[in-house]
Amino acid sequence: MSSFDISIQARASGDFHEATILEGLAPMDLLVVEREWSPERSNLMQELLAAGVDRRKWPQSLHWDWSKKAPALRLLESSGFGLVCEKKWQGVMMTRTASYSARLKADRGKPIVYLDFLEVAPWNWVIQDIHRSGLFRTIGLQLFWRAVQQSLDEGFKGRVGLHSLPRAEDFYRKCGMVEVGHDAAKQDLVYFELTQEGAEKFLADGGYK
Amino acid sequence: MAAKKTMTLNLTDAEMLALDELSEKKDLSKTAVIRQALRLYQMVNIRIERGDKLFFEDEAKKEKAEVVVL
Repeated sequence: MSSFDISIQARASGDFHEATILEGLAPMDLLVVEREWSPERSNLMQELLAAGVDRRKWPQSLHWDWSKKAPALRLLESSGFGLVCEKKWQGVMMTRTASYSARLKADRGKPIVYLDFLEVAPWNWVIQDIHRSGLFRTIGLQLFWRAVQQSLDEGFKGRVGLHSLPRAEDFYRKCGMVEVGHDAAKQDLVYFELTQEGAEKFLADGGYK
Repeated sequence: MAAKKTMTLNLTDAEMLALDELSEKKDLSKTAVIRQALRLYQMVNIRIERGDKLFFEDEAKKEKAEVVVL
């Protein structure tokens, strides 16, 4: 497993904390992630129910279960990344490097890093309806940055593709991804792609605007 | 990235030509093409071993053909 040292910012204090992005997670790591996050998911669900929040406004990954995604890490094409701070998994990401290729005309058919799943820890979610402000910010951005780096490492020129959950679409637009369109084969989610030029701009701009 | 080991690969002219063409078309180094091929072969094998089937589909012609992988 390899690692990169970074820093992440606490939302409340604005202080920066030392953190690490780990690459090469094993299936067992995802079981640990789920064991760590699952009680927090349950707490949130209970709070949302108690507050009578409309289910359409619930976090869209609340039902995810990383232990069910773990077996995919046995494939050569799958990679797992985790962001750790204060001895806790603050965010996790899984990518694939062989089953998807670029759809945009300029690069059609060329390999991409496909971002299969990215989720930040439930205690980092901002949920205004139940007054949750989240502990750390930019976890998702740091993991997305790592996916772009992986694409460069693989020789894919920074190309990244993904299907976005509806409430994450704006985030990926701000990362410079191009909206390709709804994909009927993937629960009608919007498919986004980061081009080589988009990746260069993303990395040069510090990532997000 | 994970540590890598080096190996020598012996290819026929035809195989080398195919590798060159794929490398050009996919905008990848030859090593990256081989690596991609291995990832795909492993994935397909795992799916087939668990009972899945692999098909090529031509949507326009409404044709579907099973691919037999050895």
